[in-house]
Amino acid sequence: MINQINIPWSEKYRPTKYSFLKGQELAIEKIRNFLKNFPKKKAIILYGPTGVGKTSLAYVVAAETDSEILELNASDFRDKQKISSVIGPASIQNSLFGKYKIILVDEVDGISSSEKGGLSELLALIEKTSFPIIITANDIWDKKFSLLREKSELVQLKNLDYKNIFELLNEICKKENIVVPKEVLLSISIKARGDARAAINDLQSLSKLDEGILAKELDERNKEQSIFYALHAIFKFAKIDDRILRVYDEVNMTTDEIFLWIEENIPLEYKGEELAKAFDALSRADVFRGRVHRQQHWRFLVYQNFFIGPAIAASKKYNRTGMTNYRKPLRILKIWLQNQRNKKKLSISEKYAKFCHISKKQAMKDFLLIRLILKNKKIRKQLKLTQEEEEYLDKTLDS
Amino acid sequence: MTNEIWTEKYRPKKFEEVVGQEEVIKRVKSLVNSLNIPHLLFAGPAGTGKSTVALIVVKELFKESWRENYLELNASDERGIDVIRQKVKDFARTRALGAVPFKVIFLDEADALTREAQQALRRTMENFTNTCRFILSCNYSSKIIDPIQSRCVVFRFQLLEKKSIKKRIDLICASESLTITPEAFDALYEYSEGDCRRIINLLQATASISPNITIDLINTIVSQAKPTDVRIVLDYCLAGDFENARKKLLDIMLKDSVSGTDIIKAIQKEIWNLKIDEELKVKLTEKTGEIEFRLVEGSDEFIQLEALLAGFVLAGKKGKV
Repeated sequence: MINQINIPWSEKYRPTKYSFLKGQELAIEKIRNFLKNFPKKKAIILYGPTGVGKTSLAYVVAAETDSEILELNASDFRDKQKISSVIGPASIQNSLFGKYKIILVDEVDGISSSEKGGLSELLALIEKTSFPIIITANDIWDKKFSLLREKSELVQLKNLDYKNIFELLNEICKKENIVVPKEVLLSISIKARGDARAAINDLQSLSKLDEGILAKELDERNKEQSIFYALHAIFKFAKIDDRILRVYDEVNMTTDEIFLWIEENIPLEYKGEELAKAFDALSRADVFRGRVHRQQHWRFLVYQNFFIGPAIAASKKYNRTGMTNYRKPLRILKIWLQNQRNKKKLSISEKYAKFCHISKKQAMKDFLLIRLILKNKKIRKQLKLTQEEEEYLDKTLDS
Repeated sequence: MTNEIWTEKYRPKKFEEVVGQEEVIKRVKSLVNSLNIPHLLFAGPAGTGKSTVALIVVKELFKESWRENYLELNASDERGIDVIRQKVKDFARTRALGAVPFKVIFLDEADALTREAQQALRRTMENFTNTCRFILSCNYSSKIIDPIQSRCVVFRFQLLEKKSIKKRIDLICASESLTITPEAFDALYEYSEGDCRRIINLLQATASISPNITIDLINTIVSQAKPTDVRIVLDYCLAGDFENARKKLLDIMLKDSVSGTDIIKAIQKEIWNLKIDEELKVKLTEKTGEIEFRLVEGSDEFIQLEALLAGFVLAGKKGKV
């Protein structure tokens, strides 16, 4: 028997009834109509982002109509024989046991248009079939799918609302008999950005942590939660009220971290004139930050805090609704990664600088030119470059 | 072992070999002849001979024993004024031997120090005045605080004239058996903007391909030595794609180690090549100037540049209507 503990929860809790599918009522309605009218159209395409329940929906349809699912994926279409041997007869005749069948073509994105078979094979199948075909895809708007689109019903599955995901997680917690604080569930739901599978996986991994790590993890999540609320307040509301003026009071992060969060997320909310205004405010906040650092003129903090918060809120013309899944800033990480990659460059520059009475920084700046001079083997010897440094140089000279 | 890097191989070793800077040389030479120098401050653009003259000063003063009596520090590489102070202390603890009663410390790129660090440096200079002389170098003397300037004799190095640089290049070409066409020299001069170190580096890189230097060859080398164009970033902006613009910008800055100041200079130059109307170009230049100013005052270069990009995105939108 399969060990129940090791089944991913995202599989274990795959919905089995229409009513278990959260937030996709519209899609369910459409798929019901499709089945009722079959074979007016013989295929239906469910498209949308990952983890919103496309495959789940297909299985729910099968369960609710007491049908058997015949699943195919893109790679099966490369083999013409396989399609006709497995699906061919099945799609034309009724099953021996008289059970109704549904053909599921999962993730059609991967199918090729150039290879033999492939897409044309699928189109032929749609012509012949006597069973409904459900096709799932992330993106169906590629040109190669134009014929397929014509022959099929299209149903879009929207990103799940964080509330739907929250509900889902709550139910799973009940069934698994675990207690997770509400704020954590909320934070997972928001972080998942509409991807229910990601949220469930996240929840499962969290449930396995021991208490010490859990506390640390929760702390990290709380931190993100607190900045999330602050960003929400700043980016959604145009009116500057008391709450916006003290928006960062509850955020347990350093000012420098807050700068990065704001910077990363401005373009998610603002475009055009609002974008320019918001970045202008951020730029002014940074100037005051620089003056505080350099001159220890603490009074300027007042202005810094105004421009990093209320001024950015005031950049918008109208209130926003809905939830935005704010991103964690990545710039510092990118700088760190590039520094790791630049290590050889730095050590070469250091050696060069020593010989040439210039600063390391200057050598780094002129590196594109200097590397050309360092083609010379004698100079490499003179600078005592290591094997790795020489290899690094050769690599940059090749590209 | 001879130095194979030409900027070093052909670095002038005597006052007479230095091209241009006649005024500076005359005065520095007379100070050195008296075997006593005050603190010196060399101000001037990159590649005009500041380090070279400093080296000649110590060689003339100390002859063979110059290495024991000379300490070279670079303010932009040392981590903070405390490190500099410690190094100065260690070096200046012992008295110089021989005819000259002091040692010389050359502090390059002194304008990289903050005002507070310069105050600390001033104290250090005072404390070791009996055993040490400082030669400071900087691009702009205005970035050096007054108390330091008043303790130094200030020398201003001029941007080298074309004919001065020509003299140096001809010498190198003769010695390395190179031929160079007049157009090729013009191109070299153009790209190096009067920076003698840069021009010699360009020459050596070009000569590594062929001893016959032509303008085509130089263009090839220059294109290999240039960081990725900021034009790509601006094109993203004008197309309204802020996210990709800032991504590309970070890429360029990190991969080619380009500073924010250099990026903004490149942007300012590029504005006039953009296909937008003239009035907009004026507005964008104004915005660029404002951001360059804030770059100096602020603490995060990248945030300032993003603000500029957002301005370009907006301009691109308006330009289309």
